[in-house]
Amino acid sequence: MSDRSSTEALIRQLAAAPAPVAFRPAVALSATVVLVGFVLVLFLQVFGLRADLVGAWAALPAQAKTLLPLALSVLAGWLALRMSRPEGQGALWPLAIPAGLALAMVLQRLTVAEGPLLVELVGQTAMACLVSISVLSALPLAAGVILLRRGATTRPRVTGALLGLAVASAMTAGYALHCPEDSPLFFVTWYGLGILIVTGIGAALGHRFLRW
Amino acid sequence: MEARLQQDEVWETLLARANDGDGAAFARFLHLVTPTLRAVIRRRGDGLPPDQHEDVLQEVLLAIHLKRQTWRRESPVRPWLYALARYKVVDAFRRRGRAVSLPIEDFADVLPEEHVTPPLSDRDAEVMLGLIDSRSAILVRAVALDGKTAEEAGAAVGLTAGAARVALHRAMRRLSGVAERMMK
Repeated sequence: MSDRSSTEALIRQLAAAPAPVAFRPAVALSATVVLVGFVLVLFLQVFGLRADLVGAWAALPAQAKTLLPLALSVLAGWLALRMSRPEGQGALWPLAIPAGLALAMVLQRLTVAEGPLLVELVGQTAMACLVSISVLSALPLAAGVILLRRGATTRPRVTGALLGLAVASAMTAGYALHCPEDSPLFFVTWYGLGILIVTGIGAALGHRFLRW
Repeated sequence: MEARLQQDEVWETLLARANDGDGAAFARFLHLVTPTLRAVIRRRGDGLPPDQHEDVLQEVLLAIHLKRQTWRRESPVRPWLYALARYKVVDAFRRRGRAVSLPIEDFADVLPEEHVTPPLSDRDAEVMLGLIDSRSAILVRAVALDGKTAEEAGAAVGLTAGAARVALHRAMRRLSGVAERMMK
């Protein structure tokens, strides 16, 4: 029930207020990337790279399980930053490219069906994989959300989800250097699930903390 | 078109100076964009009593202040401003909309009966009553102009006391919208 004179007063008040802190996406980006790198290095220091990394790297699945999440991370991170300004919009479909490639690897593995598929799918380290991806992502995701609060996204939930996707994919790319399981059935399923969990958490955080 | 481009340039210069700490420039910027914002709010404002439009405007102005650093000076100001305003306006209406669309029957007992005659002459009142549906008009005339209670007025058109008060409340809201338009 305000009237125009109180609007005048508000304008005078706002003009007298100090300008708010600047929003610098480059700073937000580098801070999050540094944090992701720090957490990953710490993880690999403690748990180690897989013993056969050099030998395994020659095979396509071993490359894919690091490079596909990395591509996903770069895309999602770029989109999250774009959307952190009111006028920033971005198409989400490019995210389907790495995801589609991962699914193609699963299909390709299924067409040469031999050996016990279920054993491959369940693997040996599924729980370790899920827990690692989520726990490693927690700190950088929280930091990213705090940094993006200075921005002004008009799609808080999507932006939060993209941030979660970017962080979790980056963590997955690093975790894959530790993980000894190379079947696409295993890593697409469990990495994918881990990434989805963190993406969902990101969406919830975005809905809660990126609104303004 | 050219005038608009010039206007945009003025807006951009002012906002850039405002972000460098020039308060007077910021006040001028807010003054210049206010008519545009009022128009946006009015266009989206069906269903919200016009007396709340100014509140929404103030929320948008505050948001412009809080988020003004998210504008990049090398980019045009209009898309930034419109996106920000659309977000805040939709948000403001949604929050109020939720409050307004609560079943009003729950409040029937605490809502004051509206005995107040609108500050208009009887002739204006009759013109306005002609613009709403006849049952509501009967209710409003009985209560606001003839001084009857909502119960009596409701009984005359076959409504319970609660329903009559609800209908009356809605009618008054519609009438205040009509009044707003007539006074422009």
